[in-house]
Amino acid sequence: MNALPQALLIVLLAPLAHGLMVTIRARLQGRPGPSPLQPYADLRKLWSKEALSSGHGAWLPAVPGVVLGVAVTFVFLLPPLDPVQSFAIDAVGLALLLALSRFALVLAAIDTRSSFSAMAASREMTFASLTEAPLIVALVAGPGVLAALALLLVMLAETARIPVDNSETHYELTMVHEGLVLEYSGWQLAMVQAAAYVRQASFVVLAALLLPGAGAFAYAWIATILVALPLIERAFAKMRLFDVPQLFASATMLALASVGLRLLGHPIW
Amino acid sequence: MTRIVHFAILLASAALAAWAILALGAPGFSLLPAFAPPELRLDFAVTSSALPFLALIALVVPGVALWGLERGGASDGAKLALFVVTMIGVFLAQSVAAFFVCWEAMALISALLIAAHHERRDVRRALLSYLIVSQTGAFCILAALALLAAAAGSTQFAAIAHAAPALPAQTRTVAMAFALVGFGSKAGLVPLHFWLPRAHPVAPANASALLSGVMLNVAVYGLIVFAFALAAPLPPAWGFVILGTGLVSAVTGALFAAVDTDFKKLLAFSSIEHLGIIVATLGLAVAGYAAGFYLLTALALMALLMHAIVHGVFKALLFLGAGTVAEAAGRTSLEQLGGLGRALPFTTPLVLIGCMAAAALPPASGFASEWLVFRSLTLGASGMPLPLHGAMIASIAMLALAGGLAAIAFVKLFGIAFLGVPRSAHPVVPERRSAPVAGLAWLATITLAIGLFPASAMDRLQDVVRALTIGVSPDPRLVTFLPGFFSAPPGITLAFLPFAGAIVAMLLARSAGVRAVPTWTCGSPVTPRAQYTATAFSKPLRRIFSFVLMPDRQRIVEGGGSAWFPARIRYAVRTRDVVDEAARRFAALVQRFARRARIVQAGRLRVYLVYAVVAVLVLLVAAR
Repeated sequence: MNALPQALLIVLLAPLAHGLMVTIRARLQGRPGPSPLQPYADLRKLWSKEALSSGHGAWLPAVPGVVLGVAVTFVFLLPPLDPVQSFAIDAVGLALLLALSRFALVLAAIDTRSSFSAMAASREMTFASLTEAPLIVALVAGPGVLAALALLLVMLAETARIPVDNSETHYELTMVHEGLVLEYSGWQLAMVQAAAYVRQASFVVLAALLLPGAGAFAYAWIATILVALPLIERAFAKMRLFDVPQLFASATMLALASVGLRLLGHPIW
Repeated sequence: MTRIVHFAILLASAALAAWAILALGAPGFSLLPAFAPPELRLDFAVTSSALPFLALIALVVPGVALWGLERGGASDGAKLALFVVTMIGVFLAQSVAAFFVCWEAMALISALLIAAHHERRDVRRALLSYLIVSQTGAFCILAALALLAAAAGSTQFAAIAHAAPALPAQTRTVAMAFALVGFGSKAGLVPLHFWLPRAHPVAPANASALLSGVMLNVAVYGLIVFAFALAAPLPPAWGFVILGTGLVSAVTGALFAAVDTDFKKLLAFSSIEHLGIIVATLGLAVAGYAAGFYLLTALALMALLMHAIVHGVFKALLFLGAGTVAEAAGRTSLEQLGGLGRALPFTTPLVLIGCMAAAALPPASGFASEWLVFRSLTLGASGMPLPLHGAMIASIAMLALAGGLAAIAFVKLFGIAFLGVPRSAHPVVPERRSAPVAGLAWLATITLAIGLFPASAMDRLQDVVRALTIGVSPDPRLVTFLPGFFSAPPGITLAFLPFAGAIVAMLLARSAGVRAVPTWTCGSPVTPRAQYTATAFSKPLRRIFSFVLMPDRQRIVEGGGSAWFPARIRYAVRTRDVVDEAARRFAALVQRFARRARIVQAGRLRVYLVYAVVAVLVLLVAAR
């Protein structure tokens, strides 16, 4: 697959991937859950609605555009799934690119003057400062089981999932990502949501590429991850805020161990 | 009139730097003070290793001059210009005496700049700690230079560099140790950093800009000259020592910047972080050179020179921005600022560019240089010694952590100070389109230009890198590294879609309209006091890193008759750090010793005559 078709496919299927995970989680909880196509309907509904803003900056409307632009750039940075090539990605460029969208979202959140948004912003920045190291080291390490595990742990934070965050709840004191986008509505919220879907899908593809095997295996890994994430959410409770750094410390150790074992001649890890 | 003089003098000093760049390759000049032995000859010449630093001066100083155009008298301008000239002198010095004289002159004038508001007690204390560290460092540098000069039998840098590979390894190692302490204290490397966050912020903004933007890089220049000329080649272990020192400084500086709540102090801590990154990269270059991986050395040197220039420019921009804020709002504590964006419509976007560069976000210049630093760290190759390869990967993790913490620091700085609404009733003087804005705009333009077109900056640095690495032992592998071998940082590619998205979203907002509504705060009134503060913003960090920061908080509940309905709650939080605590205890020890030692200073002439006689006797006996 060429870079452009792959990117388009990931962007178009990203809401479906999210919908599938929501449906799977609902089934695991014994509920029928929404259709996997629900995110498309959500996006269409939000897109046609009016946007409200409570900040002051004249530049605020630009933020959803920046966030969506970053997510789409992420898709273009992904190595090709097919044909099989050696894994190569600009890890530092990616980490700092994600930091750009976070920077924009957090500044907008502070500008709203809402303590909830700013509290979420503070937490998001704190977590992000601790996930950057495992993210870069895991991607520098390249395909390996431990590196993929490290990336999965980072992904839990980057995609606002249990045990780091819970995007289903709107309980103010526990919100991280939801708190950050609390003040968005209408078509602006649609852009931010779409960006979140695309980023999540990109992380799934990236983790699949880090797992051993390539080519057709990568698609199997994508499917596995789409089931594994809801399973993790079903099996664990949300962690206490100040326990989360330990999760990221573990991710860093896993990533470093992956490189270390490789240097000692065990490429599978 | 005096303002024009101030401006012209400063600009002339920048022109001197630019002229020196053009004079590369021209024969140098020497001064020999009358009645002095030839060892004290002052030699000056332009070498290629000084070029990036001269360029930094030529870029930063016009911005500082423009910013000061509407304030400051001629004497301030003269002081700043003299400061710049002494720094140029350090870069051009080619003999031990010339280097040391310029270094001491630079240290002295920088102390004068820091002492501008000497009527304040905190300024005097900062000045004292600066002087102590600065003079101790200068002594170490002199010791290092003297050691090498004595062993090489010449005080000329060229002769020392030529003789260095043949010198005993211990001599070079001891000299490098002295140099690392001397230059490290000037660069604010942990644990010799404690003076920097006190001294840099108390100077006037244009002086702070030069201190943090340029003078710290003089220390980098000194370290490069020692590592790649005067004490070269260094054993591999030195590479790891320098790398480790840099990494610790980078993480510590970033952590303290992330939890600090004062605009200028935060910037000073960020300087410690960035100097740490630069020095760590220098360590990588040394380690790579010792292990025979010359391409790694070349890329690391390129990265660190880029980062030195980039950091110098954006730090000057941010310190000048802090000066504008301090003048408009009358304060620099983030807890009392807020909503400056409306009163300072020109400064705000320019400071934002500086903050983006400091947080290494594309497409600002900080992204380009930090990307190169990381690129050199990921240049691990097969056949590389395991300790070096492992250290490089571990360094990636450390620098990534430092980068993440720096992002917190600058999102906090910009968000709390410039966004939202003001936190205090103190009026902010609105700004006009004026010379200070032009100064900031000049520096912001450079910051963006390097970020968008890093390749052109790299092309210019390539010759410098080549000269540095083949200065000692010419190696054909280095000579053949082709122009354009190193891929340029992709800042412009990465930022393209986000920028396009921003434009589209703005246009959409204009056509579809965004309705302004009050912020939802669960029904309670929206007051400025309800906004998150800088202290609150960094609370999670203080808790996670409590083992370094040792936070100390006080909550005092007063009056009201019942514990549940107090009249007033006061809350104070303070962070200390391990190094600071150790330094404070050491200082107390020294003071106690000094008090005891005062007994010998009786103040009577006879006593001093006795001391003199005893000293002469001791010398006679010793020299017998």
